[in-house]
Amino acid sequence: MTKFFRIAARNVFRNPRRTSFTLLVIVFGAVSLILAGGFIANNFQGLRELTIRNGIGHLQIFTNAYLNGPEERPLQLGIENPAALQTWLEAQPHVVATAPEVEFVGLISNGEKSEAFLGRGIDPTRQADLGFNVNMKSGRPLGAGTGESEVILGTGLATNMKAHVGDALTLLGTTTDGALNAIDVRVVGFFSTGIKEFDARALKVSVPTAQMLLGSTRVTKLIVKLDETGNTELARAAIAAGLVTKGRTDLGLRTWRDLASFYKQVVMLYSSIFLFLGVIIVILVVLSSSNTMMMTVFERVQEIGTLLALGTRRRHIVLIFLFEGLVIGAIGGVLGCIAGYGSMLGINAAGIIMPPPPSFDRGIALNINFVPSLYAAVFALIATTLVISAMIPSIRAARLHIVDALRHV
Amino acid sequence: MTEEAIQLRGVRRTYRLGKTDVPALEDVSVDIRRGEFTAIAGPSGSGKTTILNIIGCIDKPDAGRLLINGEDVTERPLHALAGLRNRYFGYIFQTFNLIPVLTAYENVEYPLLLAGVRRNERRERVGSLLEAVGLTAHAKHKPQELSGGQRQRVAIARALVTRPLAVLADEPTANLDSKTGNELLDLMAELNESEQVTFLFSTHDAKILEKAHRVLSLHDGRLVETKSSEILRAVAGGRS
Repeated sequence: MTKFFRIAARNVFRNPRRTSFTLLVIVFGAVSLILAGGFIANNFQGLRELTIRNGIGHLQIFTNAYLNGPEERPLQLGIENPAALQTWLEAQPHVVATAPEVEFVGLISNGEKSEAFLGRGIDPTRQADLGFNVNMKSGRPLGAGTGESEVILGTGLATNMKAHVGDALTLLGTTTDGALNAIDVRVVGFFSTGIKEFDARALKVSVPTAQMLLGSTRVTKLIVKLDETGNTELARAAIAAGLVTKGRTDLGLRTWRDLASFYKQVVMLYSSIFLFLGVIIVILVVLSSSNTMMMTVFERVQEIGTLLALGTRRRHIVLIFLFEGLVIGAIGGVLGCIAGYGSMLGINAAGIIMPPPPSFDRGIALNINFVPSLYAAVFALIATTLVISAMIPSIRAARLHIVDALRHV
Repeated sequence: MTEEAIQLRGVRRTYRLGKTDVPALEDVSVDIRRGEFTAIAGPSGSGKTTILNIIGCIDKPDAGRLLINGEDVTERPLHALAGLRNRYFGYIFQTFNLIPVLTAYENVEYPLLLAGVRRNERRERVGSLLEAVGLTAHAKHKPQELSGGQRQRVAIARALVTRPLAVLADEPTANLDSKTGNELLDLMAELNESEQVTFLFSTHDAKILEKAHRVLSLHDGRLVETKSSEILRAVAGGRS
């Protein structure tokens, strides 16, 4: 096998200009894939962290009853005594902070007009510990420890209700027992999530305010922040095991990945785009290198005839050309990875700012991530592609008639 | 082991050029004995190369039989012929046909690698043959770094390295000046004497015809055994 590899490897450098051109195409393809993959990875990372920081957290804990079926009444299937559970959770490995949250629906009224709302009861201090940011458009966020019940409204809901900071509004809801309840709240600010439809229905109050409206001391869920997103699975397994040990089999866990449906859709979309780009680049490399290999075969017809005459088997002729493809692919793959890494450093250092995406008011920096597995995959893809490119030319070479090949000039 | 290294029986080979069938060999029968230094003479297109190709198992006859070492190999499948070529024959081509990316040493070694000969033995055989052809100092040179005569010497060493049943040489001196051609011819004659290697040439070269033990003449695809002196006269007559 070594003898065929030796011939193949040396043939690669026989026509430096042609090999350089092939390598140029390969390097271009590899760099494109590495930059596109690194950019997409950066976007995934950004979106993932944004999703986690925007209210999902790394883990969420619910009662299994809540996860398995819809609640007939608010907080009917909520978590009892969440404070004790929070204390235990915060002692677990990788857990940085926890926060309770209450989800509820109801009507909001200004005395003249009522609108349906989607409400969240939050603990502003603990949410700040979780790193959750509320994008305030005016007024201030919910205060901690104020005696008066406060509310912040989504910008769309505020417009619909013609509300201003300082206005008093009434929230109407159903208690856990099924009775109607109402509380007065004071508007302290307006926020935006960037999703217009959601902002037209969303409001936030403190957990005690929500519990007061719903007539319960339960919370819908506990949100957990971890030290690293990469530790999610590790922490999930440890907490799940700990809950079983504690006898809290009534509780269930969901990771950010389970809950971030928008993130998953974006990942699928971008992955499809990346796959499409990959296919185009592979076709480009296959066509270019296949043509080069075909020219190589044509130029070496007499040599192939000689190898066959000396007793080289036809499958070994195939092997020589496949090895050539592999060697070019491996060299091109390595050079492509190096060039891709260099391009990544250059682009990241350039500090290029891209136009703001929808619902963003600032442009975002063009950053390319270094993803080792992407480099390995690009290398493997390029090497495999080159071997595939060499397939048809190598079979053609092996099928040459020896007499004709020896006569070839 | 038979006395005859190679036997052709009623071999016919026709080439198709466009819509025309061109007969290259017609009912050719001949025995080549071990240790012979035989030349096949004839004008261009008379079928000299075709007969060597059929004997060397790089072409197949349309009809007739080919026996190597007494064994009929005519019906052997194509994949089995590669091993046969490596085992029984050494080839010397008019255009040298060395592998450009291999050194002189590696070119000579290549048939032994195919045959699976062990490293020490390979080193010994290649070394002694390069010495025999006077190229020990050029062992690490690539073909393009060698003169035409040196390349053909490498080809001779490559042809002999597997200790073949026969060396088939197709116009081996045609691309060389007469001095170099004569030197190589003397070398091959010497190897034929000392190693008892069977040589079969296709040639126009009067010197080869002069040195040959036997001269076979091809005319219109038919083989006629001729004495060397008659051929020489014919060649000389043709020039005058």
